[in-house]
Amino acid sequence: MHIDAHLSKISRLERSRSRLDPSADFELWFWAAMQAGTHALNAALHHAGLSSASQAFAMQPGVYLVAQADGTLVAQLLPPGDVLHLGRPKLEGELPADLKKIAHAMEIIESYRDPCVREGKPATPQIAAECDAALQQCLALLRHRLEQA
Amino acid sequence: MKPHDHETCAERIERTLGKLGADDHELLIEGAMLAAAHRLNAHLHRLGMTAVEQDLMHTYLLTINEYRRLSVADGESMKALAAIEDLRPAFVRGDHPGGAEAAQQALQLLASLRGRTQTSRT
Repeated sequence: MHIDAHLSKISRLERSRSRLDPSADFELWFWAAMQAGTHALNAALHHAGLSSASQAFAMQPGVYLVAQADGTLVAQLLPPGDVLHLGRPKLEGELPADLKKIAHAMEIIESYRDPCVREGKPATPQIAAECDAALQQCLALLRHRLEQA
Repeated sequence: MKPHDHETCAERIERTLGKLGADDHELLIEGAMLAAAHRLNAHLHRLGMTAVEQDLMHTYLLTINEYRRLSVADGESMKALAAIEDLRPAFVRGDHPGGAEAAQQALQLLASLRGRTQTSRT
């Protein structure tokens, strides 16, 4: 997607997350944070010129849904646009320092995905705080990058 | 994970879904997917189709042979989870128009999967 669309998604997901309790609703509270972080990562990658911004929606690495003039969606093979996660698909080029920090923050968030959402590990307040801090770092780094432009 | 534990996770997520509104379509779709996966895993474990240490994460990550094998056991539930997953590119990762309707579709698919897998326990 385009950077503005990613920013809009972040706002929507943060609004949804604000409706949830980080303990009682951890799974979806966490999932919203992870998705918002991924949108921040994609916006930063587009801004850095490491992936292309277009109205194409990621299905799997290398495959995107593209809207047609009649409103239908067609799967197409395209060069890297939005990533599903960092490394899916792999991108050419060196990550700038701020993007390395965003990527590291996303690794922190994603390290809790399977244990706490899929495998039943209880999420402690410390885990929630760590995930929230990592997301806030992603968003701050993105804001800083966009303000510098 | 054991069937009962999957169901406990599914129930937690389903309770959270009740706190969201129609304009939270991204999380409604994602929550439907996560709850449906837990319910399907519980069902497949109980049927003896998958071991408790071999949980299905996404239908699209299965080999074609495994997808076919599990579909013989409960094709409708496999299709329901796959249909929820198919909503994600356009309406969760993307901003294609119709997100609210897609979320309602995801919730209906979850309800049908839940009904089928719970019926099988009785």
